[in-house]
Amino acid sequence: MKPIDRRTFLKRAGIVVAGSAAVGVATGIGVQSIVRRLDRPWDEAAFAPPGRPRVLVARVASYESDLETIVEDGLRDVGASLGGRSVLLKPNLVEYDPDTVINTDPRLVAATVLAVRRLGASSVVVAEGPGHRRDTPYVISASGLGERLSDVDARFVDLNLAPVTRVPLHSRFTELGELWLSRPVVDADVVISMPKMKTHHWAGATLSMKNCFGCVPGRIYGWPKNVLHWAGLQEAVIDVASAVRPDLQIVDGIVGMEGNGPIDGTPVGAGVLLFGTDPVATDSTAARVMGLDPSGIWHVSEAGRFLGQADPELIAQVGEDPERSMTSFDVLPVFEDLKMGSASGGHGVGPDGFG
Amino acid sequence: MTSLFERAAEALDRARSGDAFGPTPGAEPEPEPTALAAIALDDEPARRWLAGAQRGDGSFGLTAGPVENDSATGLAALALPPGPERESALDHVVTTPARRVPSDPVVPHDPSLAGWGWAFGTAGWVEPTARALLALRLLRPQATGGIEDAVAFLADRESVDGGWNYGNRFVYDVALPPFGQTTAVALVGLHGMRTPGPSAGLVSRGVGALRRLWPVERGHLTLATSLAAFRLLELADTEEVEDVLERSMDRPVPDLIALGWIALASGPGLRELAVTS
Repeated sequence: MKPIDRRTFLKRAGIVVAGSAAVGVATGIGVQSIVRRLDRPWDEAAFAPPGRPRVLVARVASYESDLETIVEDGLRDVGASLGGRSVLLKPNLVEYDPDTVINTDPRLVAATVLAVRRLGASSVVVAEGPGHRRDTPYVISASGLGERLSDVDARFVDLNLAPVTRVPLHSRFTELGELWLSRPVVDADVVISMPKMKTHHWAGATLSMKNCFGCVPGRIYGWPKNVLHWAGLQEAVIDVASAVRPDLQIVDGIVGMEGNGPIDGTPVGAGVLLFGTDPVATDSTAARVMGLDPSGIWHVSEAGRFLGQADPELIAQVGEDPERSMTSFDVLPVFEDLKMGSASGGHGVGPDGFG
Repeated sequence: MTSLFERAAEALDRARSGDAFGPTPGAEPEPEPTALAAIALDDEPARRWLAGAQRGDGSFGLTAGPVENDSATGLAALALPPGPERESALDHVVTTPARRVPSDPVVPHDPSLAGWGWAFGTAGWVEPTARALLALRLLRPQATGGIEDAVAFLADRESVDGGWNYGNRFVYDVALPPFGQTTAVALVGLHGMRTPGPSAGLVSRGVGALRRLWPVERGHLTLATSLAAFRLLELADTEEVEDVLERSMDRPVPDLIALGWIALASGPGLRELAVTS
């Protein structure tokens, strides 16, 4: 079966209803918390079997390396096809703190803009809906992203302000039923999720799937996007990622964050970039590079049942060997079980962050 | 020379979508930017649009499937003229505080306090609580329970050295720092208030935080809300913030929430938000 591209998928779903969020009659329906009544809470027909996706681990010593060439080669090596297509880069830019490394490095984002152009994309924009701050221009400026994007003449789109589009959910790990995504995400031919490689104090790790939270607009879901937390954080990670379906992933692990991530952790030089075409396979591999057992990260493990490939044996690893590239990330005590080689065998934690 | 208010008002007027305002120029109208512009420009068409956008339960906001973002209701009440629509909006604010959340050692807070949230049925956060507080203080001062809850909520969520971020004081024993924009909006809600007991000093600590933050966080929204807070508090910082904001207008302001706040903070509309008693 030939996999369908994301725009076709979203249009086939139906039912994508264009327009802004309705100013309608309140139904009084509140968002309910975690529901996992169904054994297989997704529409089988909407998801192709994951197959054997490629994930590339590339050693990159620093942000001063020739990132443009590394990214171009990396995308080519995983089979990215960008010729004539509109591309949206979605870095992680939740807020700014000069003392740590919360965000995808702006140098990597700018280099990716150039690499994507070299690969023939018809257009490229950088887009994000910061989760903690409403003043997006401040975050863009303070983080240095604005200046880097200006250097490469790239446009930034604030997904918290952009028009929105209703997208029915084909997975039902939450009771949301539908999501309102920022329209540029739905309209792009190719979405590249570019997370920072970080531990996460509720979910274990935050990678390309969790990074998709920035595609839902704060002006509907709030600052923070608390609706998604009420719906069940890890369940929401799966539903949002299955709605966004990032076509490509580039994980910024040149310097990642360990400990109390995603905001208050400690920088850790892991010296890697990961490239992939399947967000579950990419996140699964990234977890291993972080020294974490992906089967213990609930949302990765569950998404591996339908959205992508989580089984390391079925992921075509190219480039560096993930285990040999491993930097053991410190985690909070509640996630000690996630560490590969932990005494308890890495049996992991549940969706609420507890075993 | 054209004043900051005139520049902002002109830009805002150019960006309208028919009678009302969207989040960006020409975008489909939404309640929050329309309410801000209605107050800032004393704009009758925007008020008419708002009245027509009110939901049956008195709220204003955005509906996205099961998600009812009703956080614009307080601002809309402030924009509406006296009458049943305004009263109905205030009734909604009074009767739909956020869901109380049990305290958690990881994210400790006072579980007896609700505040107001972004979306119906979820937890309370700083900005929607401050907006609800302002609406109740100005238009429904007899709603003392809600006003006391909002002030206590803001005290409970205050950052350690004053000011506010989106609404978490500690996470995993780490004290989270304040943000300029949320600090400014909280001060708009609290201005002119004597906060006794555990809330004493809330405003002065917030002002101290905002004086540290705005010179660094120079986005339009932060500068505009800071100007509004300083003007409502009648502090001399106003002139300096206005000067920086004036210069920042050389850059386009595609965010009509920010532009609405600039017009509001620099113009006569801010008087509508001043609590005088």
